[in-house]
Amino acid sequence: MPGGGSSKSGGRGPSSSPLPHAVVPPSRPLRPSRYVPVSAATFFLVGSTTLFFCFTCPWLSERFSVAVPIYNGVIFLFVLANFCMATFMDPGIFPRAEEDEDKEDDFRAPLYKTVEIRGIQVRMKWCSTCRFYRPPRCSHCSVCDNCVEDFDHHCPWVNNCIGRRNYRYFFLFLLSLTAHIMAVFGFGLLFILYHRQNIDRLHAIVTLAVMCVAGLFFIPVAGLTGFHIVLVARGRTTNEQVTGKFRGGVNPFTNGCWKNVSHVLCSSQAPRYLGRKKCVQSVFVQPPFLRPQLTEAQLAAKILDNGIQGDLHRSKSSLEMMESQSCDAEPPPPPKPELRYPGIARGNTEECSLLNKAPPTPTMYKYRPTYSPSKNHTALTHAYANQLSRGESVGSARDSSSSTSSLLQANQQPGFRSQPSLDQRDTSSDRVGEGGGGGGAGGERREVGGGGIPGYSLGGRSYPSFSDPTVLAGVASRSSSSTHTSAGAAHVSEATTTSASFKSLANQTPPPHHPSRNGSLSYDSLLAGGDDFDKEVVGSVVPEVSTGRPCTPATVGYSSPFLSSQQRDPEMHSQSPHHHHRTTYHHPFLHRSSSSTSSSPPPPPERERLLGEPHAGAHALPASQTSSTPSSSAQPPPHHHHHHHHHHHHSHHHHHHSSSTSRPPRFAAPHAPPHHAYPYRTRSTDTPLGSSSTSTTHPSRSPYPPPLGKSLSYSSAAAAEMQYRLVRKASASAGANAAGVGGGGGGSGGSGGMGGGGGGGGGGIQTLKDDLIQMKPLSRTNGSQPFSSTSSCSAPSSPSHPVSMSAQPGVPYLNAALTSSPPHKPKGVAVKKVTGVGGTTYEISV
Amino acid sequence: MAETHSLQDMRQQAAIAAKVFIQRDYTNGTVCQFQTKFPSELETRIDKQQFEETVRTLNNLYAEAEKLGSQSYIEGCLACLTAYTVFLCMETHYEKILKKIAKYIQEQNDKIYAPRGLLLTDPIERGLRVIEVTIFEDRSLTR
Repeated sequence: MPGGGSSKSGGRGPSSSPLPHAVVPPSRPLRPSRYVPVSAATFFLVGSTTLFFCFTCPWLSERFSVAVPIYNGVIFLFVLANFCMATFMDPGIFPRAEEDEDKEDDFRAPLYKTVEIRGIQVRMKWCSTCRFYRPPRCSHCSVCDNCVEDFDHHCPWVNNCIGRRNYRYFFLFLLSLTAHIMAVFGFGLLFILYHRQNIDRLHAIVTLAVMCVAGLFFIPVAGLTGFHIVLVARGRTTNEQVTGKFRGGVNPFTNGCWKNVSHVLCSSQAPRYLGRKKCVQSVFVQPPFLRPQLTEAQLAAKILDNGIQGDLHRSKSSLEMMESQSCDAEPPPPPKPELRYPGIARGNTEECSLLNKAPPTPTMYKYRPTYSPSKNHTALTHAYANQLSRGESVGSARDSSSSTSSLLQANQQPGFRSQPSLDQRDTSSDRVGEGGGGGGAGGERREVGGGGIPGYSLGGRSYPSFSDPTVLAGVASRSSSSTHTSAGAAHVSEATTTSASFKSLANQTPPPHHPSRNGSLSYDSLLAGGDDFDKEVVGSVVPEVSTGRPCTPATVGYSSPFLSSQQRDPEMHSQSPHHHHRTTYHHPFLHRSSSSTSSSPPPPPERERLLGEPHAGAHALPASQTSSTPSSSAQPPPHHHHHHHHHHHHSHHHHHHSSSTSRPPRFAAPHAPPHHAYPYRTRSTDTPLGSSSTSTTHPSRSPYPPPLGKSLSYSSAAAAEMQYRLVRKASASAGANAAGVGGGGGGSGGSGGMGGGGGGGGGGIQTLKDDLIQMKPLSRTNGSQPFSSTSSCSAPSSPSHPVSMSAQPGVPYLNAALTSSPPHKPKGVAVKKVTGVGGTTYEISV
Repeated sequence: MAETHSLQDMRQQAAIAAKVFIQRDYTNGTVCQFQTKFPSELETRIDKQQFEETVRTLNNLYAEAEKLGSQSYIEGCLACLTAYTVFLCMETHYEKILKKIAKYIQEQNDKIYAPRGLLLTDPIERGLRVIEVTIFEDRSLTR
């Protein structure tokens, strides 16, 4: 059903359940257009059936049997009951999270968090409106402005979201309506056949009219019914189907056909979350409190941990802020120093616990370039120098040692960052350098990918871990080892694996390892890397995205850690609701950094030099994360090479979200992206953009051009070539939906819902996977090809931009891309060519 | 000592020091399960075994609520036959279990958590996304 589309109210739809006991948004403006489809549906249904009962049934009951109207009556009653339940029942709306749940984390937390579900990595996206990480299968409906559990789609015919609680009724409504239409049509035909002689009687005419209406509605209704029968049998939601999440892959939510059907039809009615009677806690808590006995080991551990724990938390905070990938439009405020509860080691906010949690749910800092806290600032600086010497597109410029140093000072990072990281970095840099030397666009891209990582961390970020070759290797191996059936799934899982590996790697370094340890540094790296990834991944638009986002070599992205998440975020968000697509495309961490760079901090001077375009202040220290302008603009170069290959895909995806143009909004941040892609979640309120729930409010445009980081991430995503395709596909579909290109595109009701938030959420997993795949070792470029083809984004909904996944192997693509300016031009978007390091030309959508 | 958060409910005499959130465990899909991993913030407050026992019990209760058993089949059929009007008079199986869970949490709070300066919040209030454990500051101890 075509997405109802239009009205995005601040609150919830009229048919949603009562207001939550939690924060209640102000009443939404009345939107009469939302009620047109449901009114029409009701009118036709009730009107036609009434006419049928009045004009046709009397004769039928006399002529044949009284069972005829009784049968029709029962069926009609069933139709009405299910219609009412589908319309008025709360689909499973999540109440807004209370403020305590995210606290300061939203500045630091990544945009995505990965969980493993039955062996498959699934990405959970941060919902900036609802302030929590969306559970799997949850999506934010832009029409209703709510996150809905097991989101299927927003159905305009019932003017309600279809989710966990009312899917059964919607499904039964479709089944019963099909049966009802068939019955009405059949009995009407019978009537007409017996009244051929006196066809001009009123009864006959009315019956003919009713038959016409029934016949007209039968085709779409039956089609939709068949579609949902297949979905139920497969255990998928409309959202997942149209965004192609599990295309070619494994659906982790299926339990087999029989169990899926019985779950839909026979499970107990799920509870409502909103409007519950709040139970009053009658427990009285008063000290003194009992305490458990501490063991010697525990005591010893406590002693050792003292100080570091605090530092970790602090650093983590700042870092996450930078890398936050949320699509909040507003730039996140500067990292908060502290703790709401000084007495307790911070970090245990909801997100914290998520982030710190055990392996089963590793947090994936997609955009966070840094993952090895052990790297210190100096190491980064050195690496940066190395990078530069190699002539790499060192977005690492972003490394801006200066910025990092300042950051370092800001954070009192523990001194365990030591030289070893530097060495590692050098190694990786070397690696990167060689890769780059391999040269040519492809080489560059590849190296960017590889080097991007190192460069990323090098970028003066305190997350040298990124550049850590071991990390990269680990990631690569992980991604390569991941064997996902579906390309999409594979990509996602790989991506998640990769990204997860980063985070876990980072976390594995010195004990209180906290990715955010180098608060400032991590921030930078986050900015540089995170954004890029985010944006990149989103990409089906990848190519576009890369343009949008500073696709400069990873280093670039890194170089402007300061670009900060703000810049990145807007970009990222603007990228599209299918943010995830993009991110998957690019190296998660790379992406992040780049995106982050987009934020306020001016890009490092080197970056400018490299990119050939002035970055106003892109490299400014993270401190200024002002507006999150899509830093993507700054990073067009890296995306260039991607562009011409994927441009069309990219643009599609890219725009679906932020801009309608094919060009990735990232770049066009200043103009375009309706939402900026923040690498991190910002606390600032984001006015949910119509297209995506995650897209933050305004397309925060950073004062600086997109951070190099973006391009970096893009380049680093060399391996992500495959993912690019996949992402593109995903984003194309997602984007299309999101952008409301087809509000009604294909997915019927799904489109609307999907466009709103479903697209973003749905694509997420796929893009994620894509990203992972891309992240795979650059050497795998060829192998990656299949992935792209399998990109799950099948978006039946009308992607405005045809997703054309070029089936070129990643590497060749990169080479080609790098060497030649993208042949494609973003549709209707001005493209600015930027020369990056190594002679790569990138197209930036302007 | 920790200051009281402005948003904190002041019904408790003790001030709230921190909040720990036990996240959902999605390893088995979207079935409602919570992670049994013991959060580090509670290390000094409660026994690991005790806490894990609580979470495990909650997980079992939720699994029972979502079970596709005879009760839910009958309920579904009855609802269909009565055009869902039965929901006006009867409580669904899930709701019954939720009531049981609420009672269990209340009892755990009274017996085990409150004496230790902790408070569990029913996850249904958070949309079954997290179990919120509120940690109260312990003025009797010097930190």
